[in-house]
Amino acid sequence: MLGKLAFRNVRRSARDYLVYFITMTFVTALMFAFNSLIFTRDLEEMFGLAGIMIALVGLATFFIVLIVAWLINYMVRFMLEKRSQEFGIYLLIGMEKKEVARLYIRENALLGTGAFFSGMALGFLLQQVIMAILYSMIQIKYDIHMEFNGSCILMTAGCYGGCYLLALLRSNRRFRKMNIRDLMEAQKKNEEIKESHEQLKKWFFPVSLLFLAVFAVFIFFGGIRDAGHILFFLVGIVLVIYLFYTGLSSWLVCYVRKKGNGIFRGENLFLFRQFSSKLKTMSFTMGTLTALFAIAFMGCTVALMFSDYQNKLLETKFPFDVQINSDDVEDDFADEIEVIEEEAQVLNAVRYYIYADIPAKNQEESERANQVNVWLSTHLKTFGNMYLKKDGSPDLKKLEKDLADGGFYCRYDTYMKVSDYNDLRRMLGLSEVQLKKHEYIIHIKERIRKEVESMTDDIAIEGEEGELKFAGYYTESFSQDGHNGGDYVIVVPDSAISSLTPYYAELAVDIKGEAPAGLGKKLDELAEPDDEEYEEETDEDFGGHKQMAGNICCGSDTIVVMALTNMVRDNLIPETKYLLSALIFPCFYIGLVFLCVALTVLSVHQLSDSAKYRFRYSVLKNLGMTRREIGRVIFRQLAGYYLCPVFLACVIGGSVSVFMSGKFIFYTGIHSAVIYYFGLTFLLFFGIYGLYFITTYVSFRRNVEAYF
Amino acid sequence: MSDYIQVCDVEKYYGNASNVTKAIDRVSFTVSKGEFMGIMGASGSGKTTLLNMLSTIDQVTAGHIWYGDTDIAEMKENDLARFRKANLGFVFQDYNLLDTLTIEENIILAMALRKEKKKEIQRKCDEILKLLGIEDVRNQFPYQVSGGQKQRCACARALVNRPRLILADEPTGALDSRSAQTLLETFTDMNQKLKATILMVTHDAFSASYCSRILFLKDGRIFHELLRGSKNRREFLNEILDVLALTGGEVSDAR
Repeated sequence: MLGKLAFRNVRRSARDYLVYFITMTFVTALMFAFNSLIFTRDLEEMFGLAGIMIALVGLATFFIVLIVAWLINYMVRFMLEKRSQEFGIYLLIGMEKKEVARLYIRENALLGTGAFFSGMALGFLLQQVIMAILYSMIQIKYDIHMEFNGSCILMTAGCYGGCYLLALLRSNRRFRKMNIRDLMEAQKKNEEIKESHEQLKKWFFPVSLLFLAVFAVFIFFGGIRDAGHILFFLVGIVLVIYLFYTGLSSWLVCYVRKKGNGIFRGENLFLFRQFSSKLKTMSFTMGTLTALFAIAFMGCTVALMFSDYQNKLLETKFPFDVQINSDDVEDDFADEIEVIEEEAQVLNAVRYYIYADIPAKNQEESERANQVNVWLSTHLKTFGNMYLKKDGSPDLKKLEKDLADGGFYCRYDTYMKVSDYNDLRRMLGLSEVQLKKHEYIIHIKERIRKEVESMTDDIAIEGEEGELKFAGYYTESFSQDGHNGGDYVIVVPDSAISSLTPYYAELAVDIKGEAPAGLGKKLDELAEPDDEEYEEETDEDFGGHKQMAGNICCGSDTIVVMALTNMVRDNLIPETKYLLSALIFPCFYIGLVFLCVALTVLSVHQLSDSAKYRFRYSVLKNLGMTRREIGRVIFRQLAGYYLCPVFLACVIGGSVSVFMSGKFIFYTGIHSAVIYYFGLTFLLFFGIYGLYFITTYVSFRRNVEAYF
Repeated sequence: MSDYIQVCDVEKYYGNASNVTKAIDRVSFTVSKGEFMGIMGASGSGKTTLLNMLSTIDQVTAGHIWYGDTDIAEMKENDLARFRKANLGFVFQDYNLLDTLTIEENIILAMALRKEKKKEIQRKCDEILKLLGIEDVRNQFPYQVSGGQKQRCACARALVNRPRLILADEPTGALDSRSAQTLLETFTDMNQKLKATILMVTHDAFSASYCSRILFLKDGRIFHELLRGSKNRREFLNEILDVLALTGGEVSDAR
């Protein structure tokens, strides 16, 4: 009998809490699909970096389990409250508490299992979609195949079941404490509106707004610099998130009490009161929802940022098919060329030097040897005041120390012969550069091009016959993360190179078609076996002078940095994309789940209220409102209720997102508007939001009108 | 149509062709302006159905209900809503106050929905609050005041727009006897001082004794009518009790 009752109740709950059921289904599907990223074997075999994906998806899963546990706990408690009268009746007719609790647990277990299985079905579909996206991202053909991975199913079931178990155990405790009277009364609990200290509390509202404005200004103008600021704003934001609603509610109450003009217009009074009383009883939940929304916003923004990087910038990072660097200037790259020739058809190979302005013999080095490095480290925004003394002069000692073994820049400025330069340009399909005898040019990363306008006034490049004249900047993508210099390379006439010393050797290869997978690995293996020997070798003299100091650099890029000795484009792009996916996927995952959870709580709340407070609308009907007018009131009420946490989350998430995007654009040099990522997130967000809103609105109206 | 409100041959059937329940069976009567009319009857006699049809909440199966020159049986839903807003006021057993609004705000809302000016709303509201003696509790929420005060608030809300007819469904049903008496005196005041037309449905003889005319319903038909005339309330009450004794109040008792 109890089984039958439980089943019937589930059927009814599933209808009342359809949104919850669908969300649980969706969350299970997402969980399963993303977990399968952890367990997929193909990828593990393909990339050595699979560990990162596992770690990040695992981390995301951890947070998601926490939030889903919160949702289940919240819903279980919520349904318990809504149905307390019914449970009271069960007790009244002689059921034992234990039996009622067991009935409730059984119901929830049924609901949960239902959602779990439909979620798994959807999950298998979603898994295919996610795999297809991932594989197309990393440019590998994906054949649709079902992967029934036992441990993946087990992990999903474990996460999901754990959440449920926790929530149900808690509700069990609740049951034990309740008595019939409490159960019968529980439904009426929310209806008391306690108003106290409203005049005081209403100040939370403007203060919150003010704090948000200050926060936005600070974040836009880079006012947040140290940990103290961050802590201050973090605590502030958390407080604002929770106090904002109390403030807004009190502010509305005060406005109504003061009899502002607004309340005498149509149904405004009803809406203000409805809204403020709802906010008052739910300010904590609303705060939590705001936090979830804001996190969802930020997660999606980060995901979009990196995916934009993937699409726009990654290709430009590897202009050459294969590029190899060696800090041994005598390296003739014979082994490397042999390996490449075995694997692919070489069309063209250029071996060249990067030079430094240091004397060939052991003499005093000139001041000019690192003039560009010094200028850049003290002028680029990336470095800020890092290499400036208090009086504004360059902190040479610190710079020298940091660059002694190479770093973002080499120890000395990097030069290149114009003939080599033109060879490389030809390889890239670019037009050659004509350089007169007394001229020099600088090839620099586009990202910092705008910041170096005045650099050429401050530096002097010596040629054979005196100082060279600056003839312009070039900014095509040119592999300047440590290969053709870090950030920049100074191109001088061949005749001027005699006074410079080879600094490190480079090899650029153009091959026919795509490089086979694994070429990079083979090239890496060349260096690895005799690593120790290699180390020893470095101590010996090259060409009569000591080993070149600090000739390894990676440029001033941050966020995504790729400094590799051997670069095989067609191997690296998929690998980097996979690496970036390891960030993008979990961020989307978190964003989506948080968004759905928050929206579910919002709509379930509204829907159960629609049943509970139907009579309010019937009163409005008695007061002479038409069906359409009541529809409008419902719409306005829902819109306010839905928009409020989103608005706050938009301001917080938006400020942070725009700030992050700004930094991201600044550090990566990607061409996108600052608002771009947030804008896209916003669209994505409101797509899902719109769906939930419409579903809620339609069911709400149906619930209310059924009563008329 | 000279009569204020005229109910003509109204019928209301429930159910389908094979199983029809006649809730109201060819009922006709008129209500004059300024009348305080009561409808009495046992449970299931059709009094609430009749009230619902008069209040446009329910549709008639056949017949007409004329408010002056307007036949509400012929009106569309949206017109009915507008009609309700302009012509009717309600007082129900369970008060039907909005629990999120204070007593005063409940009254303001009713006027704000009619798009009245702020000053006008304020003036009328103050006036009615004073008149019904709920000035002291104007800033309290419904849950903070007594049942009688709640019901007087409902009356104020019903009255404030000066409707053509106030419909009251068992208004004293949830009140203790003292509050009930106060409320009924309020009704009488509303009727006599403000010239409000009131139609009250009740099964309580004491409540009915405040009316000026009473219709007795039984099985969906009018089976008796009482006029108070110049009789005092006690005499009228006895008369009502006599009628009820005749029918037994409850159908089962009459047999």
